[in-house]
This record gives sequence, C-alpha cells and structure tokens, in this order.
Amino acid sequence: MKRAVIALLLCCIAAGASPQAAAPTRPPASAANAPALAQSAPPQLPGDTPPAATPTAPSAGEVETQDAQPQPSSAAQDLYESARTDLLQIRMLLKNGRTQSTVGSGFLVGTSNLALTNYHVVSQMALDPDVYTAEYIDTDGNTGPVELMAVDVLHDLAVVRVNRNGSGFFKVPESPARLRQGQPLYSLGNPLDLGFAISEGAYNGVLKRSFYDRLIFSGPINSGMSGGPSVTASGNVAGINVARRRDGESVSFLVPVAYAQDLLRKVASQAAPPADFNPLIGQQLLAHQGGMVDKLLDEPLTLKGMGPYLVPVRESGQVRCWGRSSVKRGAAFNVDAMSCVMQSAVFVSDSQQTGNVAMTHQYIRSGSMEPLRFASLVGDLFKVENLGSTGDPRLTKPFCSERFVHTRTLPLRAVTCVRAYRNFEGLYNFTLLTASTDASQASLQSRLDVSGVSYENGLRVTRAFLGAFGRSGRR
Amino acid sequence: MNTLAKAQADAPAALPSAPSADLPIDLPLSAPWTVETLARNGEVLQRQRVATLPIRMGRAYDNDVIVDDDYAAPHHALVDATLDGKLLLRDLGTRNGIVHKGRCVKELHLDGDTVVRMGHTTLRIRSAAHPVPPELTDRTMHGWEGVLPGAAGVLLTALTALLAAWLLDRNNIELQRYVQWPAAAVGAGLLWSGLWAFGNRLFGRRARLGRHYFIFGLALAALLGVRLAASVVAYAWSLEWVTAYASHAAVVTVAVMIYFHLATVTPQLRRRLRIVCAVLGLVASILIVAGNQQQHGRMADELYMSLLLPPELRASPDAPVAVYINQVGAMKKEIDAERKGNAGE
Repeated sequence: MKRAVIALLLCCIAAGASPQAAAPTRPPASAANAPALAQSAPPQLPGDTPPAATPTAPSAGEVETQDAQPQPSSAAQDLYESARTDLLQIRMLLKNGRTQSTVGSGFLVGTSNLALTNYHVVSQMALDPDVYTAEYIDTDGNTGPVELMAVDVLHDLAVVRVNRNGSGFFKVPESPARLRQGQPLYSLGNPLDLGFAISEGAYNGVLKRSFYDRLIFSGPINSGMSGGPSVTASGNVAGINVARRRDGESVSFLVPVAYAQDLLRKVASQAAPPADFNPLIGQQLLAHQGGMVDKLLDEPLTLKGMGPYLVPVRESGQVRCWGRSSVKRGAAFNVDAMSCVMQSAVFVSDSQQTGNVAMTHQYIRSGSMEPLRFASLVGDLFKVENLGSTGDPRLTKPFCSERFVHTRTLPLRAVTCVRAYRNFEGLYNFTLLTASTDASQASLQSRLDVSGVSYENGLRVTRAFLGAFGRSGRR
Repeated sequence: MNTLAKAQADAPAALPSAPSADLPIDLPLSAPWTVETLARNGEVLQRQRVATLPIRMGRAYDNDVIVDDDYAAPHHALVDATLDGKLLLRDLGTRNGIVHKGRCVKELHLDGDTVVRMGHTTLRIRSAAHPVPPELTDRTMHGWEGVLPGAAGVLLTALTALLAAWLLDRNNIELQRYVQWPAAAVGAGLLWSGLWAFGNRLFGRRARLGRHYFIFGLALAALLGVRLAASVVAYAWSLEWVTAYASHAAVVTVAVMIYFHLATVTPQLRRRLRIVCAVLGLVASILIVAGNQQQHGRMADELYMSLLLPPELRASPDAPVAVYINQVGAMKKEIDAERKGNAGE
C-alpha cells in the first residue's frame, strides 16, 4: 500500500516536473541556432535541402509521409482546380548542358505576363547571368524562358517575365486584405520537385523577431515551394512562401504581399530590366545595413555585468542572447559565455549571407592557475583562426589593426579585422576582438562580427561597442 | 701497419746512398718517402714509408709498396728520380694504366700534391721534406667532454620540457604530465644527439655524444627562451612584429644548433660550415615567408598578436579608443586597393 502511494506520488512529480525540466534545456541548445536558421531562412527552403529540392527518386519513407498528410478539404480542391493554370515551377539551369541546379515555384500575377517568386529561387541567375539561365514549367508540362525583371534581396522577392499570360486567378490586391489569426490559407507550389501541390494551414500573425516582417503560416511548406503563393480561399494572395523552421512542425513563413506590390510597381515604372543585377543588389544591401546599424545603435548599448566587467550587449526584439557556463568544482579555470545574434541576415547566394550582427563575451577566470600559466591559456583562447578562409573568392583577405587601448575604466587589447566584398562595392565584414589586460587571473574576451556593412557603419559599431567596455568597482 | 712502416724505415738508414749515388746531395727530395693511399674525400687511409728510390708498386709481393687492389697490375708502376731532381712515375705497361686528373698517362712528374689513381687506389707520394702547416690552436675544452656536458644537456632538456609542460597545462597540476614531458624530451634528445654522435664517429674519430647532447639541450632551452623573451618584449612595448616573425628567430636558433653539431664533427671546416648553415637558415626563412604568403596571403606568421600576459608586463602606454578607431579607419585605403587590385586580374 505504502509503495503504491509512493509510486503514485513519484508519477505525479515526474509528470509535473517534466515539462519544466524540458523547457529550460531547449533554449540554450537549439535556440542558439534555430532563430538563426529561421532568419537565415531564405537559404532554408533552398539552402539546406538545396534551393528547392534535388530531383531524386523518393524513398519509400518519403512517400509514406506524403500519404500520411491530411486530405485537403473540398475548398482546397476547388481552389487548386482554378489556380493550377497560373502556377509555375521555376528552374535554374546551367547554360552549359541545361541541367537544373535549383528549382522553386512562382505564380502569374493577375492577367499579366509577370510572375512573382523568391529572390533566392533566381539568385544564381541574378548574380551569374553568364553561367545560369532559367525556364518555367506549368502544371500542363509546357515550358518557356524566364526573364528576370526585378529583385528585392531584403524581402527575398523577385519578378520574372514569361511568354504567356495569367488567367487572372491570383489577385495581388492594391491594399492588402486584413487577415485574422486562424484564418485558413492555402499554400501552393511544387514541393521537392515531386509535382504541384496545395497545402492548407492557418495564418498566425506577424513574426516580430525577424528584421523584416514575415507572416507566420502554420502549415507545411517544403523546399521547392519557395516562391509559390499563399492565398485566401477567395484567391487573394496573402504572402509568398519563403521559409520554414527546421526544428518546428509546420511552422512556416511568408513574405507579406505588400512588398510584392512595391516590387511590381517598380517593374511597371522601369523601361527595361537592368542588364547587371549585381550593382542593384549591392545598393539594396547597402540600404539594409544602414537600417540595421541604425536600429542596432538607436539607443546606447545595454551594459551587463560579467564578474567585475561591464560588457555591452543589445537586447531588443531583433537581438537574442544566450548564456552558457562551464563552472565545475575543482576545475583549473572557469568560463562564462554570452552570445547575442541580431536576426538580420540577408540571403545573397547559397554560400553568402550578409547583414549579420553577432557578439560574444567570454569571462575566463582561475583561482589556482599561476599568472604566467593563465596568460598562456587566455592567449590561446584569444587566437581566432576562423575569420573565414583566405581563399574565399567573394572577400578580400582580412586586414587587421591591433592596439592596446584604454576605455574609461578598462585597459583592453583590441584587434579589428576587415574584409571587403569583391562583388559589392562599399560593403565590408568587420570583426572586433577584445581581451581585457587588467588582471592576471581573469580575462574578458569578446568578439563582435558585423557583416555586410559600409566602412562608416562598421567603424560606428566598432566604436560604440569598444567604448562601452568597463570595469565595475567590485572585484 | 705502423709496425711494418717502422720496419721499412729502419732499413733505409743503413744504405742511404747506394742506389742514388749519382744524385746531387742537396736534392730537395729527401728520403724516406711516404706513399699515402687516399679516400675519395682526400683523407689518408694508409701510409707506407719507403727508404729508397726507385719505388716499385703493384700487387705482387716483390714490390716495395704492395697495392691491395684487384684492378692494379702485379707490377704496376715505378717511381724514380729524374736527373733534374724530380720524382717520375712510370707505368709498367698495364691494362688499366695510371690516371691523373681523369686522363690516362704513361709517365708523370710528381710533387707532394700530385694525386694519381691506379686501378681503384688513389695515392700520392711525399718526401720527408714536404712542408706541413703549423699546428692548430686547440680551443677544445677537454674538461668539457663526455659525461659532464652530457649531464648538463640532459638537465637543460628536462628543465625546458618541465617549463613547457607547466606553461601549457590547462588542468590542475598532476604528477604524471611532469614526468612524461621531460622523459619524452630526454628520449628525443638522446635520439637526436645519438644520430650526430654516429655521424661524428663516422667522419671524425670519436662519438662525442655528451657534447652533442649538450648542444641539443642548449638549443632547446634557447628555443623556449627566445620565444618567451620575444613575447615579453612584444607585449611590453606593443611590438607586434616581434611575435609576427617569431618563427625566424627559431630558424636562427636551429641553424646555430646545427652549426655547432657540424663543427663538433669537423672542427677544421668551421668557416665553410658557418656559410652553409647561414644559407640553410636563409632558405628555411624564405620558405616560411613564401608558405605564409601562399596559405594566408601575408608574410607574418599570425594575423594579429594573440598573446596575453599579466598586466605587470605592460610598459608602453595604452591608446584612447578614438585614436584606435582612427587607426582602423586608415586601413580602408589599403583594403580598397586590395579589392581593386585583385578585381582587375
């Protein structure tokens, strides 16, 4: 009897405790990467499962999961029936051999011959028009050439022109319709290059954590559906499929249709598409970094205490910070670390993202290590080799400036390394490394990475960050 | 061999003038003559003393100098004095002949430095009056040979390894590490100096293991010492180039070590060895620079000075943040030039 009671009690405790126990363990481990994934999301639909799906034969498992999906409702059936004529698959082809390198989706806007898709679907054509070209395939298997008209790198949108007109099903309203949370949305596209599909989900508000607004769509979006439309039951486009959370279940993101309207207006006003999109992309990235740095520095950085040191961080909707500690009893030294990432990365190409801001602080201390031995340890930790490979053709080699500097209250060793983008003039990656030089058994080491900024803004961030370091009175 | 040479040397004293009675007395050639068999590098392998002229040479046992060489004829050559007082070597009609400076000769005038080859045997003949250079000044510290320098070398090696083990220890101090490191270093030193001692025994007369070990120990200590001293100097006065090119100091240390090893083996070639080691060091340094340039696009060993030392070791003043930011700002020109330069390619 007693045992049974104890067993029952234990069960209750276990049941009550498990969600609490599970919850805190997740953020530091997965969250540290996950938001970066979501944000680096453009590459995500394309990025990881390559920009849209490798045409491989589905394995038995995959087919099974497909079958397991809930049957679309009759509304979805009707919708797909009327939408299919305007739905396109967009394929990037290598000019030599015309083999496809990536595939995505797109849709004809109204009755025009313009189609909307994601920038990341056509990024290869935009960056390397000499190597890549594109074609579309519609639901009847007809193909035709695709001409790139305009790109919006920041919101991940592109407009292309094809040699046929839409039936007028997909309406891009002048002023976007108001969406209510829970309202059903239908997402269309060609997932994993398996065939055209429609998936049903619900609108769930605007993602505030991302630098540019994204709609949350609680429904399945898979690689290859990028660039496809998500529409209301009446055929009004609510957003363009763009990304999903890899660690989530049916947590997907859409580009709000308002940005698509802006881009379409731009296409209407331009006489001819630009011959080279690289300078245009460079300008958009410059605009992005301007907004990003302004947002980062619009108020003074927050100072947080790490041991006796005061370290600058920024905590706002777009910047997320995580902490981690290696404190162990009897260890020769201990490390507390804090890292913050601003969710502002912009997809440029499969291998290049820009507009990141990341900062890390490490507080290393030891009670038992002699000063020289401790110095040798922290010297090793201060050595950073991974500023990206020097053979990277997109960036120049790093140039570094190093100095012993003194902020108001703290002497520091500061190293700033800068690399320039080769294909986008005026954009640079800044890395600032600092190490405190005030104590023989404690060391504060920090790293700030700002990528894709103008030199001016890189200096601004470096100055603000470096100048904020300090030491509080207490030991 | 020595005894044989002596026995021959004794004989000629009794009959010095018998065969050469018709020669002038004040001849520069003076008995006894020494026939020296040479190694390829010019070293004397064997000496035979002959009291009188002519000297008969060959493989047969009735010769004055027996040449143990299958490629020499039983009666290969004869050395006699000419009327004008020089030595003349004559071939006795052999198949392989006498070779001088790569050419086959029938007869040849000899002086003390003429080297000829018979079959596979290289030799020269010197008279008793042949001049020799004065003795070398003996700088060898004979008290510093053998066990004493060897022990000092082992001690230096072990201490250096201990210091390195301590500096690189990231954990709480445990005895095992501080036994393993010195043991490994002493073992490596034994291997290194053993190889040099082997070479020394081969090319010199003695192994001199102790001395080679001392050189190793000293070099190891110097490697660590130079590194530490460079670190302290660079950190104290903010001289980043000192650590950026620290590998060249190590190259110099190793070159000096190899010079001392070589000079221990062949002390008479010191001047030449100095040049050889300097050239080797230079080549190593150039290779390091070229490797850095190719791998990292810079000549220095490191991107920046990652060294951190206790604050007491800082000597130069720190810069204010604004000055540093200006310094970073000034870098823009360089980067843009690099970007343009490579874009043009």
